[in-house]
Amino acid sequence: MTDPAAVQPPEPLFELPPELAIDTDVARRVIGEFIRGQLRQAGFERTVLGLSGGIDSALVAYLVADAIGPERLLCVLMPYRTSSSASTDDAKEVVRRLGAASELVDISPMVDAFFATDPDASSIRRGNVMARQRMTVLYDRSVTWGGLVVGTSNKTESLIGYTTLFGDAACAFNPIGDLYKSQVRQVAASIGVPDQIIRKAPSADLWPGQTDESEADFSYPVLDRLLYWRVDRRRTDEEVAALGFDPALVARVDRLIATSEFKRQVPPIAKLGPRTAGVDYLYPRRRPGSARR
Amino acid sequence: MQTLTVALAQIAPRLGLFDENLERHHTLIAEARGRGAGLVVFPELGLTGYLLQDLAAEVAIRLDDPRLTALAAETKNLSAVVSFVEESADHRLFIAAALLEDGRVRHVHRKLFLPTYGLFDERRFFAAGDLLRATPSRLGIGLGLAVCEDFWHLTVPQLLALDGAQILINVSSSPGRDLAATNEVGLGTATSWRTLMRTYAQLTTSVVIFCNRVGVDESISFWGGSEVIAPSGQAIFSAPFFEEGLFTADVPLADLRRERLTLPLLRDERPELEVRELTRIVAERAGLAPDTTADDLAEAGLDVAPGDPIHPPIGFRDETAAGTAGPPRPPKSPARVPR
Repeated sequence: MTDPAAVQPPEPLFELPPELAIDTDVARRVIGEFIRGQLRQAGFERTVLGLSGGIDSALVAYLVADAIGPERLLCVLMPYRTSSSASTDDAKEVVRRLGAASELVDISPMVDAFFATDPDASSIRRGNVMARQRMTVLYDRSVTWGGLVVGTSNKTESLIGYTTLFGDAACAFNPIGDLYKSQVRQVAASIGVPDQIIRKAPSADLWPGQTDESEADFSYPVLDRLLYWRVDRRRTDEEVAALGFDPALVARVDRLIATSEFKRQVPPIAKLGPRTAGVDYLYPRRRPGSARR
Repeated sequence: MQTLTVALAQIAPRLGLFDENLERHHTLIAEARGRGAGLVVFPELGLTGYLLQDLAAEVAIRLDDPRLTALAAETKNLSAVVSFVEESADHRLFIAAALLEDGRVRHVHRKLFLPTYGLFDERRFFAAGDLLRATPSRLGIGLGLAVCEDFWHLTVPQLLALDGAQILINVSSSPGRDLAATNEVGLGTATSWRTLMRTYAQLTTSVVIFCNRVGVDESISFWGGSEVIAPSGQAIFSAPFFEEGLFTADVPLADLRRERLTLPLLRDERPELEVRELTRIVAERAGLAPDTTADDLAEAGLDVAPGDPIHPPIGFRDETAAGTAGPPRPPKSPARVPR
């Protein structure tokens, strides 16, 4: 018999707050049906997504391949010249393991041309243009490949507004938008996303060394827990303080949520006529006759 | 008594495609008959899909619609429960469940409780039914029909049982949500429903049949998990989650008699007590009767006063102004101090 004390428990791939633990079989089942349903209702058979080498897009690629088969997925790798080559390598590894179609599109010339007359543009502006350039490429490939663009934003970044409007947030549907980052990691581990992708620090990869957690000064497990108690479980200031959250962090996150509300909604239309889209003209996005064919 | 074979049509209706869904109903009724079923149950809005919004008016049918008549014609020596949007003569739209038997529409239940909270918006698009009746059936046993949210209200299964139903049938479009590893089956919705079904079966000593759809409408996924529960509260059959299919289960109807003799809960119910107390509560809530057990300054019908009342509540108790309508107030019982 082995002495139990001598066995080193394997280091966990990631930290999972207990209240965020989900049944990954159920999650994958629901998401698989969702992906197939979205395609059927739209009359499409194929999908296209931007694969960065990060965990979110890797997980979506696995989920889509699982739901409809890798031959119906096009992964587009769109590095900028400052993007980490390790990210591209990780993305290529995902493509190799899944056996999906892929294409590498270097967005450097497009982005550099945009800023050619404006060399002092801030990193925020550059980051936004990169995200929107990638969106432009994806929607173009949507036509040539004949596939719907699948979103890869998670619930954490969506709630705090760490997304670019009409950039990385743009998609036809999003299978993981209701999963916190910690839950993305959990489902990713269950479906076989490579360990090194799960382990590495999440990054928008807009400049060398950038990571989400250093840029915004939080840790994902803490932020996910706070968002869960605040948003999903409707806990008050006093109640989240009693759960041990720093009131300063709570105030900062509340503000991020409120200031990014506009990113999560369809823009309002001035109400003038008898029936107005989104106000009192309310149809399912996909309905009889709406499929492409 | 004989064994009843129940067929659960756990389908994924196509949103807004009435004729396609109707075709599927015809096929499955024939298949259920072939498998010896005496009763086949389809989910809520199985003929139309759930998340209809403004499509509701476009797929609504009258009860004399030839398509419904033709479907009913398939039910010689068979009972079927189907669900659709019913348009009344005065153009209200109801979520309806109909019992089709021996070639005709035998009974229609209009959904009573329309959830309009959280992810639901039913009251915006539909009218709520006003009638709750158990119905006799060709099975020689009383049936009680209810639609989804109807079973989140205790009164519905109880009234159906008191009205003579021995088989309670709930047809649902229940969206799966609240994923958590701590839930019995990984899905909060499913855990709640499974608890309800077992509880109602036991407390009404009735067979409970739950038929829930699968598939996806827009963002929401329906989880299936249709069940047949014995009057003892034990599951006779549980269909898989998320999987489309026609599932059959054999229900020994003799268990109903055995359970009701062993556990005569229905015999011992006190409907007259409920009526009396409910009549009192309704009058108190309306401010039409004094609430002799209430704190001063409590809202009408709610016995406990708020901790920090800022104004006299509306209704019967607001009698301080001269000439206020309402019956004279009885002598005050020793006032309780509001907290």
